[in-house]
Amino acid sequence: MTHISDSQNTDQRRFFQRYAPYFLLAPGVTWMALFLVIPLVMMVYVSFWTQTTFAISSDLTTKSWVTFFSSETYFGALLRTIRIWLTVLFFTFLLGYPIALFIGLFVRSKTVQTLLLVACVIPFWTSFLIRVLAWRPMLGKEGAVNLVLQKIGVISQPIEVLLFTELSVVIGMVQIYVVFMVGPIAFMLSRIDGSLLEAARDIGATPLMTFRRVIFPLSLPGVTVGAIFVSVMVLGEFATASALSGRKVNLLGNIIVTQVGSLKWAFAAVIGVVLTIVMAIVITALLRLVNLREEL
Amino acid sequence: MLELVDLGKSFDGVSAINGVSFDVGEDEYLTLLGPSGSGKTVLLRLIAGLDRPDAGRIVLNGQNITNKPTHLRGLGFVQQKYALFPHLSVRQNISFGLTNHHSTPISDANEVNRLCDEMLEIVGLSGLADRGVGQISGGQKQRVSLARTLVTKPKLCLLDEPLGALDANLRERMTVELRDIRARLGVSFMHVTGNEDEALGMGDRMIVLDKGSVIQIEKPADVFSRPATVSVARHMNNYNILPGSTRNNHFVFAGSRLSIPANVENAAFYVVGIDKVAVEPVEAPERKDAASIDATYVASEFMGSRVVYLFERQDGQVFEVERHLSRETPVNYIPGETRRLSWDVNDVLTYAPDGSLVNNSAQLRGAA
Amino acid sequence: MHHLTKTRWALAVYAALFLVFLYGPFVVMGILSFQQGPEGGPQFPIIEWSTYWYQHVIGIAPASRVAPLPVGDALIRSLSLAFATMVVSTILGTLTAQAFRTKFKGSGFVFYLVVLGMMVPGVLLGLGMSLVAAQFGIDRNWWSTAFVLHVVYTFPFAFLVMLAIFNRFDASVEEASLALGVSPRRTFQKVTFPIIFPGILSAMLFAFTLSYDEFPRTLFTGGSQVTMPLAIYGTFSVEIHPNLFAFGVLTTLFSFALLSVYAILMGLSARRLSVRSTGIQEDVT
Repeated sequence: MTHISDSQNTDQRRFFQRYAPYFLLAPGVTWMALFLVIPLVMMVYVSFWTQTTFAISSDLTTKSWVTFFSSETYFGALLRTIRIWLTVLFFTFLLGYPIALFIGLFVRSKTVQTLLLVACVIPFWTSFLIRVLAWRPMLGKEGAVNLVLQKIGVISQPIEVLLFTELSVVIGMVQIYVVFMVGPIAFMLSRIDGSLLEAARDIGATPLMTFRRVIFPLSLPGVTVGAIFVSVMVLGEFATASALSGRKVNLLGNIIVTQVGSLKWAFAAVIGVVLTIVMAIVITALLRLVNLREEL
Repeated sequence: MLELVDLGKSFDGVSAINGVSFDVGEDEYLTLLGPSGSGKTVLLRLIAGLDRPDAGRIVLNGQNITNKPTHLRGLGFVQQKYALFPHLSVRQNISFGLTNHHSTPISDANEVNRLCDEMLEIVGLSGLADRGVGQISGGQKQRVSLARTLVTKPKLCLLDEPLGALDANLRERMTVELRDIRARLGVSFMHVTGNEDEALGMGDRMIVLDKGSVIQIEKPADVFSRPATVSVARHMNNYNILPGSTRNNHFVFAGSRLSIPANVENAAFYVVGIDKVAVEPVEAPERKDAASIDATYVASEFMGSRVVYLFERQDGQVFEVERHLSRETPVNYIPGETRRLSWDVNDVLTYAPDGSLVNNSAQLRGAA
Repeated sequence: MHHLTKTRWALAVYAALFLVFLYGPFVVMGILSFQQGPEGGPQFPIIEWSTYWYQHVIGIAPASRVAPLPVGDALIRSLSLAFATMVVSTILGTLTAQAFRTKFKGSGFVFYLVVLGMMVPGVLLGLGMSLVAAQFGIDRNWWSTAFVLHVVYTFPFAFLVMLAIFNRFDASVEEASLALGVSPRRTFQKVTFPIIFPGILSAMLFAFTLSYDEFPRTLFTGGSQVTMPLAIYGTFSVEIHPNLFAFGVLTTLFSFALLSVYAILMGLSARRLSVRSTGIQEDVT
């Protein structure tokens, strides 16, 4: 504080200048507090309410929680959700990494790079739900895949397990989410300095060694960011499962939807909290591997 | 016109500017010399109002502007890296301050164009008015940046290393032009630089800043001939600095006893100008009121109009001797041969262990 | 070197297969949208090529047992919702990113609070919001409860885009403007805004598309008046018909139109810059 100040006006101005970031933040933070934090807190709170068949009361109880963990259906859904998430995560990485490698490292022309990335993004211009539905005529008993395979004589009988199974859910999710894996990895790979690879070659490293020792470690932050994207989306999924499994595969998300549909708020909230916890563990673990703020 | 009183500023507890006081007069070219990290850019930002000081005040024409927002100060500020508006043409960059001024915007397009053309003429960019700022060279950008500020007719213009990003040739030309432009417009310039040639050559007065404090404010010639501290002396690139101590009216340096000016006690640095040294044969007789050391010739360097001979001192450091080619023809010494380097004791400056100039006869003589 | 060329070719072939995987369903969808109607189903073989389902979507096909998609109302709702979301998210995103240009206490907390909005699955947020609405007796509508969640979802994207833009933004041009005696407000209008405009456009584009296609959050909080994605979701439980595919093809085309507008706008702002180099003078205003 200076001992000399012109007027109160200047003091006021200094006050605003000093706290300027907080004024700018206020609208956004308020919005998030009201419409993000409060709903999540409410969810935890409601999960301890008393649920009866036709009504819900705010008397606190852990009954819904007990029901969740003792019920085959609910606990099974948790395990299934985790299984499908891991499967999808694995395949998005397996299918996505080579593409990212191609786009980020092997294509050195910026134009071609952009074109390929745009090609990967274009599907997002179609409604998510229609993209999911488009898999039905692909995978059905008389679907395109069976038709083509029969035409070229690979199979004589149509494969029936393609649609309305866990497999179709995984195929659908992998196709929809793989791009979120490709993007961040390709981004990290494209930042690798070409001279680094030349240096590796100059000291006599084989391409495989260069990949293992240089390229792959440098792309890891991209893999982590991609894994965060995919995990966040797959764990909260329910539409793909209900569209491509014929309601046979129920994920936690699906159960929340059904419970809300039958006004079982407390059960829905319990599942919501469980999902949040799973999510929090996964994201925290992944964030330990990479500083999101710095990678952006 | 502008007066700084005891200005202080620190960042995260680290002091950047400390108790800085000086003033800038009307129609003056003031240069501020400081090594990087001396706080010179911080000082400019405080004056421009882009940062607020923690202590002290800034007074402009009798008005305290310490906490006044930048746009109300009416000062010009030419940034180090030009900071041209990338989305505007050269003409639009220059007219920007005229048409968007907070209190007195000029709306008459003809008037704006006239003022722009005039300014383009002054900075020598007449043909480039409609170029994008991405399509001009570094020197031209520098001129646009200057023109953009000067066209708003500020009373005082702050220049932050305006020549720093230019190559040597361009730098020399702009040096002359800056002085001319300033003189024509009658604006006061406060020119901040890390280059001693620039500071010495351009200013009417110069300020030496080191570690956030003002060390010396004088005419460039005086700063040059009588640096206030040993670090200023080092910065002038014009002195041989011999470390040692005084004993029995002599200065002991690496085993040599050197005569010192009268009344000097407790000096830790013995400083002699590189142009004040005579090179003699080792067997030359000792002169009265002179001091000398023997040194081994190493090499010479031609630098335009002058030549610098490099000798190796007893302590292994370099001792420089400069000669102007206009005054004498260069001599070819044999590398490895020993020579006696001598100088007039009255040309010697001595500095105390804390680096400050010790009051001695040379200074008294210079002041007289 | 020979080795790498072989790898490159293998990867190129793989990339082609990958694109087939990505686009396969669309091609099939496109083909089936021309299925004969109204009897033809959403599967092979094509009984007869026709544009019946396109007529069905835009409501000019003769009445049949297949209920028409609520294209009119639902589409208008979706577009209005997306528009409002886009405006609010972009403003919030820009303000918040602007705040992040200076250091302040608690920036890490605020950063993750905002990013949380895009991380929390729609189901959870939709559920939480509907619980809040039920508890406080708030009516659920697409323009109220659903709208605020759409902003929660898209604001982080807008924020991140603007953050990236500001990271590359050189603040010294703003200081130059202030030093020329231009007020902070006008500096923002004349300097900051024009320079960050392409970024704002991307942020808007992001927010609009995400909101337009959003559906888990809307499902729980949208109330009885459905948006387009909800209308499509509604057909999941009953039989699907090729009219959905026709609609899919139409929306894809619509998206392309939108993308083209964006590309043209970007192109224009790039051209405005390059005009300077060719010497065409613009009015000094």
